[in-house]
This record gives sequence, C-alpha cells and structure tokens, in this order.
Amino acid sequence: MNEEKIKNLLIVLTACFMVLFSLFPFVYMVLTSINVAPDFLAKGWNLTLENYKNVLGVESLHFLDYLKNSIIISFISSVVTVFIASLAAYAITRLEMKGKIFVLLFVLGISMFPQVSMIGYLFKIMVYFGFINAYPALIFPYIAWILPLSLWILVSYFSQIPRELDKAATIDGCSKFQILFKVLFPVALPGIFSTALLSFIFAFNEFIFALILTTDYHSRTIPVGIALFEGLHGQVPWGQIMAASTVTMLPILALTLIFQRHIVGGLTKGAVKG
Amino acid sequence: MKNFIKKFESYAFVSPLLVFVALFVLIPIIGSIWTSMFRDVTFLKMKFIFLDNYGDLLRDEGFWKSLRFTLLFIAVTVPLELIIGTAFAVVLDLKIPFRGLLRACVLVPWAIPSAISAKIWELVYNYSYGLANYILLSTGLSEAPVNWIGTDIGAFTTVVVADVWKTAPFVALLVLAGLQSVPSDLRLQAKIDRANFVQTFFLITLPLLKPVLLVSLLFRTIDSLRVFDVIYVLTHGGPGGATTSVSLYAYKYFLGGDFGYGSAISVLLFLVAFVMSVFYIKVSKFQDNL
Repeated sequence: MNEEKIKNLLIVLTACFMVLFSLFPFVYMVLTSINVAPDFLAKGWNLTLENYKNVLGVESLHFLDYLKNSIIISFISSVVTVFIASLAAYAITRLEMKGKIFVLLFVLGISMFPQVSMIGYLFKIMVYFGFINAYPALIFPYIAWILPLSLWILVSYFSQIPRELDKAATIDGCSKFQILFKVLFPVALPGIFSTALLSFIFAFNEFIFALILTTDYHSRTIPVGIALFEGLHGQVPWGQIMAASTVTMLPILALTLIFQRHIVGGLTKGAVKG
Repeated sequence: MKNFIKKFESYAFVSPLLVFVALFVLIPIIGSIWTSMFRDVTFLKMKFIFLDNYGDLLRDEGFWKSLRFTLLFIAVTVPLELIIGTAFAVVLDLKIPFRGLLRACVLVPWAIPSAISAKIWELVYNYSYGLANYILLSTGLSEAPVNWIGTDIGAFTTVVVADVWKTAPFVALLVLAGLQSVPSDLRLQAKIDRANFVQTFFLITLPLLKPVLLVSLLFRTIDSLRVFDVIYVLTHGGPGGATTSVSLYAYKYFLGGDFGYGSAISVLLFLVAFVMSVFYIKVSKFQDNL
C-alpha cells in the first residue's frame, strides 16, 4: 500500500516536471512578447501589444512575408513529397520488383547524410539555374530531403492494408493508378495525412538550406527570418522576436495538439522498426 | 514482352523518387567530393590540387577543435536524452488521466523550429535580464549573475540544455513505441511475483527495451553529429570558437567563399556519418521488418 503511494507520487511529480520542462520556455516567450522591455522579471510588468502591432503591421520587418514563404514552400514540398512517396510505396509494397530492400535502405542511408555536405554544391547548382532567393531553390531540395522519411512511413501503412482489396479491384478492371488512388488512398488516408503533416513540419522547421539558398524576404523562411531578425531600433528587439515566435508557433501548436495521435503514429512508424 | 512491361512498371513508380534523391542529394554530395579537390575560392582561378585541402585540414587546429567539441557534445547530450526520454516514456505508457494531453505537451518542443527555441534560450540565458540569472539571483543560488553565453563552459551548457530539451521528447516517443510492444503479461507476471515498480523496470522492461534504446542511441548520435541550427542561433559557435560544431566550421568557410576547403570539411563529416549509418542500418535489422 505504502509502495503504491510512493509510486503514485513519483508519477505525478514526473508528469508535472514533464509539462513544466516542455512548456516553460513558451510561457516565458509569451510574457516577453506582451511586455514593453525584456527586463520585466526584475523591474516589474509593463504590458503592451505594441510588439504584435509592429510585427504584424510594420512592412519593413517582413515578418508576414517570411511566414507566407514558409507556408507556401512547406505546403508544396509536403504535397509533392507525399505524392511521389506514395507512388514508390505502392510499387514497393504491391508490385513485383527486384531490389526493393535496396531502395529502402538506400534512401534510409541518404536521410542520415549531414546537410552541410550538400549545401556547398547545392548552392552552385541553384546559382547555375538562377534559383537563388526563389521558391524552387528550397522546394526541390526539401522534397528530396523529406522523401526518405515519407517513403518509410507510407510503406509501413500500405503494407497493413489487405491485398485482397487490390485483387478485387484488379478483377473489376482497375488500372494500377486507379488501384492506388481510388482503393489504397482512401483506406490509407490517416497514414497519408500524418505523412503529409510530418513532411510539412520538417520543411517548415528546416534551417540550413534556407540560410544559404535565400538572401532576403522574397523567399526567406520564418526560422531564418527570426534568427536574423533585426527589428526597428538597433538593440536586440526581444519583444518583437518573441511576438513573431508566438504568432509562428500558434499554427504549429494547434496542429500538434489536434493531430497529436497522427504525428506520434507517423513518427514512430518512420523512425523505429527495431 | 508482357513480363518486360511488368518489370518496367514497378521501376516507373519508384523513378520520380530516385530522380529527386539523385538530383538533390547524390549529385550535391558527389559535387562536394569533387570540389574538395580544388582550390575553389571566390575571385580566384579554380585549380586542381587533389588532396591538398585534406592535408591542410589535418594541420588545422580550428578543425580539430570543432571535432573535439562535436564529439563532446554527442557524449553529453545523447546519454541525457536517452535517460530523460526513457523516464518520460515510462510515465506516458501508464494509464493515467490526461495522458493524451501530456503526450501532446511533450511533442511541442520537438515540433517547433529550433531557430525559435534557440532564440528563446538565448533570452533565458541573457546576462542582464534572462530568466536563468533571475532565478539564480532571486533564490540566492548565486551572488553574481552568471555569464552563460560568454564563457566556454557556460556556452557549452546552454547548447546542451537547448538540444536536450528539444530532442528528449522525441526519444520519449521512440521508447514509448518500444514499451508498448513489450508484452504486458510479462510485466503482469512480475507483479504477481511481487516485484516492485523499480525491480520490474530494471529487470524486465529495460532488457526488453535494449533494441529500441540502441536504435535511438545510434539515431541520435548521427543526428547530433550534424548539429547546426541551435548553435548557429544561440552562440554563433562562440566564444572564440568554443562551441563551433564541424557543420558550423564548414559553413563558415562556405560563407567566406572558400568552397574547396569548406567541401573538404563537409566530406570528412559525411564519411563519418556514412559509416555510422551503415552500422545503424545493420544494427536496426530493418530488413527483418520488410
């Protein structure tokens, strides 16, 4: 009985620690964003919405441009990635093919490569095609970079769908494309959705490609925009940076909370098969 | 002929994926290996120098320093992430109220861009008004403010904390997936045998988790090897290069226009990552699950 009590206490303490550990930086972020100066801890609160007004209203800060770039680039990368990965996952799980395992292990190995080993030459390629500081400079590498993960997740979802479904569809005279898009897709929808969501988050958070392949607000994404944020008045504009971070975090926070189950499912399918 | 089409068809489905990966991952890597054998500096004539960049690299104290930092960074962060991650996973596995909410909370640090979290950490560790010094001073743990980002040990601590905070939750989810595949009747049996909570964990659960932990260990090691974002934003590799990772060191050469030397650094990093990935794939036994 006593042991049970200790155990419960331990669990509650750890759970509280987990919440605190995960969320306290965000509380600090929001508090800084609604105070006039970042020294509010010692000097007392002085609430304002000025930071939000600046970030959302002052055009020369380009915050909304960064956000728009990020959303467009991540969305296109995510949709294209899932489309290409589902074609490949279909072939790997359903069609006769030599070297399936090779393809899977090959892309898995590739996903482990350091990005810094690509950026030097990628920069040259993008200069050659005139893509520097344009959306394609990020969209193409993002697709290639996220494909391995998407493929692994989709393969594991597709292989859970009973093959009898395809057989029935084949007998009904469906082509391979019809089987994929009219039979498998609807059944695997939760899997496809979590793959798309994860791909979106990966593209949205990517930093090093965006740092090198963009030069200003025409295509710079939000992580780089916030990292290089200069503000209006010279000294580090903490209030504005935190207001920008808060606005950026809201959609991601909403997606994470609402689709928590999908994200966890997708992540664990993609990363651990051991 | 029909057989031929059937054979060809499956490759057609896979080909868009292979084309993308080849164009935007393989070619840049091969290009980096090629560039690393040239003197390739902006405004200077390209000159083939074969392995001279690598020779310079071996004598470059800055490179060795960045390598030492990266290895130390891995040696400190990865074990911390595994311990905290496993503890979190054990709690998340229990049938407690608000379990879903708890899981979502843990997911948030992983889901937001590291550039944003690194900015928040930079403010937390601010010398004059950051949260860390405020807590230390107001609780009397320290009499004077600590110079976090400006000293070697302080800067190391800040990047370690920021990285562990971001990735421990990810490890927790991996371990959680492993825990849920541990047969519950084994744990039930342990309970019947009057083993307590701690005994059950160390004698039954942990040994069964060994494969998942090993995979997480390797995965996190390979990932930490290329650490960049957190350090770039939080310390810029400073003070005096004390927290410059190999990735950041290579980036600084690219930024300065020295593509040959930067590529040589990045190729060495690639080779280490490549060897570890092969090892990772071997150990994880991915093939068995296909």
